[in-house]
Amino acid sequence: MEELIQEMKVKIIETLSLLDTKPDDIDAEAPLVGPETGLDSIDVLELVMMIEKDYGVKIDNKELGMKVFASVKALAEYIHEKKTVH
Amino acid sequence: MNRRVFIAGVGIISALGRGRRAHAEALARAAGGVKPLSLFPASHPQPLPVGEIRALEQAGTVPRTHQLALIAAREALDHADGPPDAIVLGVAGGGMSTTEVLLKEKIGDPSRYRDHAAGSVAAHIARAVGCRGPVLTVSTACSSGSVALAMAMEMIRSGRADSVLAGGADALCRLTYYGFHALQLVDPVGARPLDRNRRGMTVGEGAAMLLLTAADTPGGDALCELLGAGLSCDAYHPAAPQPQGLGALSAMRQALDDAGVKPSEIDYIHLHGTGTIDNDLAEARAVNALFGREMPLLSSTKGATGHTLGAAGAMGAVIAAIGVHEGLVPASRGYQNPDPELNLAPVMAPLQTEVRRVLVNAFGFGGNNASLVIGHPVQCRRINPVRETRPFSVRGMAVLTGAGDGPATMARLFAGDSVKGVLNYEALATHLPQRTVRRLKRLPRMVLTLAAAAVAAGGPPHAIFLGTGWGPLSEAYDFLTKLYESGEQFSSPTDFIGSVHNAPAGQAAMPVQATGPNITLSGGDYSFEQALLTASLFQHVSARPILLVGADEHHPAFAPLIEPAAVRDGPPADGGAAFLLKPGETEGMRISSLFFAHARQHPQVIPDAIAHLGGAERIMDRYAAIFFGIPAAYEASGRLQLREFLDAVRFGGAVVDYRRWTGEFASASAVATFLAAQCIQHDEIPQQMCGREGYSPDGRGILLLNLGEFVTALETVP
Repeated sequence: MEELIQEMKVKIIETLSLLDTKPDDIDAEAPLVGPETGLDSIDVLELVMMIEKDYGVKIDNKELGMKVFASVKALAEYIHEKKTVH
Repeated sequence: MNRRVFIAGVGIISALGRGRRAHAEALARAAGGVKPLSLFPASHPQPLPVGEIRALEQAGTVPRTHQLALIAAREALDHADGPPDAIVLGVAGGGMSTTEVLLKEKIGDPSRYRDHAAGSVAAHIARAVGCRGPVLTVSTACSSGSVALAMAMEMIRSGRADSVLAGGADALCRLTYYGFHALQLVDPVGARPLDRNRRGMTVGEGAAMLLLTAADTPGGDALCELLGAGLSCDAYHPAAPQPQGLGALSAMRQALDDAGVKPSEIDYIHLHGTGTIDNDLAEARAVNALFGREMPLLSSTKGATGHTLGAAGAMGAVIAAIGVHEGLVPASRGYQNPDPELNLAPVMAPLQTEVRRVLVNAFGFGGNNASLVIGHPVQCRRINPVRETRPFSVRGMAVLTGAGDGPATMARLFAGDSVKGVLNYEALATHLPQRTVRRLKRLPRMVLTLAAAAVAAGGPPHAIFLGTGWGPLSEAYDFLTKLYESGEQFSSPTDFIGSVHNAPAGQAAMPVQATGPNITLSGGDYSFEQALLTASLFQHVSARPILLVGADEHHPAFAPLIEPAAVRDGPPADGGAAFLLKPGETEGMRISSLFFAHARQHPQVIPDAIAHLGGAERIMDRYAAIFFGIPAAYEASGRLQLREFLDAVRFGGAVVDYRRWTGEFASASAVATFLAAQCIQHDEIPQQMCGREGYSPDGRGILLLNLGEFVTALETVP
């Protein structure tokens, strides 16, 4: 899981062009979206595309998205769970 | 004199049918036109529902948007005496429905892309109907059609035109079909506007055109009167509405004020009502705030037609005209379950009742809001004194060229070299926070850089007017490339939002909270002139300064396809300029729009231009120099126009071919206007540019002529 969390951080930085952020700057348990991180709903949708493309995991509604994108850890756990099921 | 604006003819085509009569009938029986997509194969196992026009035969290589626009235009002009004095068209996609297929098939022949540009739709109509006057294209995403009508109304009120054909058009295409899907904004069962269980919109297509005419009393042909308009910008988010609907509320309020109408006098609201969770909530809050207990009848017709994007506002205006004329309030198709959070009770079945005044809403990406008030021509009276246009005084300005910023540009020119080139991407937006620009590509970075520099010199603006001939090429190209690379499985929501022409101006509004009109014009090489003309039309809205920008980006793969003439000779170039302008001041340097006509239809265009400029003698006295530009695609006709002008005026001042110095790109004239203003400030025109040593304007102005397909004139005077 720790490995997937690290991998997520790198992918998030890449996908969202967070050029001024390093993986270690991201707190895996802190809220991923909001004024603290400066990320919003468009960024979430951009990550939805990346996750479907790179991991084959669909996140296709807002309610699910709110839960999954609560933090990097929640995201990694969701991907892990869905990938294991398939 | 009282100049009222009447709707003398309408034309409409949508998934509900073709023509005003067909729409009146379809709306009266609450018909629906939403069905699964059939126009092109979709990658989804089940094609999403769309508002598609099924009975439309492909007319040669003419793009679908152009076809739809012309069908509506011909209907609107059916009983007209002659061509309109001007055309104002709102489009979001332009020729994208054709371009995206060419890119998909990797077609490299530029001649196939000639109808790509947003402005090519209006040009197509102008040629077909023989319009000689200004032909303007507004691209403010889903409010385009309403903004076009607001502009057309001001052209008539200000006496610039007696008749204007205005409206909007957009065809279904992959860009919008997949783009809205990527944003998770599409309801899989079809849009259910205002319903508690709504899940999103339905993408549609169509065109709606209205012939507006000036008169002091309604003639027999007047269907309705266009009573007023209100424009605003949320300055909040590139795609989501301000949650309380503050921008929408401001647009509605201004429209009522402009119409001289109280909320209680509105009988029906044609809502924007897309069916997305956020739009309907924000709009409902705004409507509740404005109308409170005096709630008029209201409905959204997007459950029946789908959301026709650039056409939507104009389609709302035509539906309003039908409603007033036939005493019909259409049903809110798709609505079943009240949403307590919205606190609205939409009309569920078509209602035959007297409709005197209608409020029409249209909102778009970039937080771009437009409301119109349409009324019965006899029962409503509007007094419109003719509005006088005054010059803008220049409070700040900025430029970006191949040489860099303003000082770098002027230094290069005074050293005798051109400023042609494509500025290094890394040099753009260096002063802006990384978090602000991380999602922005080349054009929005240019516009934000220009805006920040002009605003730093002149203070925050109320309104923003952007002219861009090519629009955000990088975002559109990247969106389609990513889509096709993935077999139409994946696309970038960020690129989709950034691909609308008004995205850069919407971005520019946010840091300075420019909540007034935010209008992006896209008419090829004449886009900057269109933006200045449009800014002049809305001078009355506020005494606060406005920001005027003209900018275009070079794109190594896309630009050679859509603008082959511009990159054929010499190095590729791009750039732009911004001006912070105060309306109505007589002190200091001023900029004015003086003339705008369609040359192709107008054999007397040069004598007409000279007459508008006050005749040969005045031109000689007033201007130290003429800066002229001839877009590469119109070299032959432009040269003839220039010779005719210079011969007729016997101009003795300096004559500068500015594209030799700026390079070839759609908004080169914006950069030329900056150069002219700088020459006046420096009191010297660089020697190599004008062929004279130490040539001083000496208190006179500089006339800027843009020639070719159109002939335009603007001036900068000290």
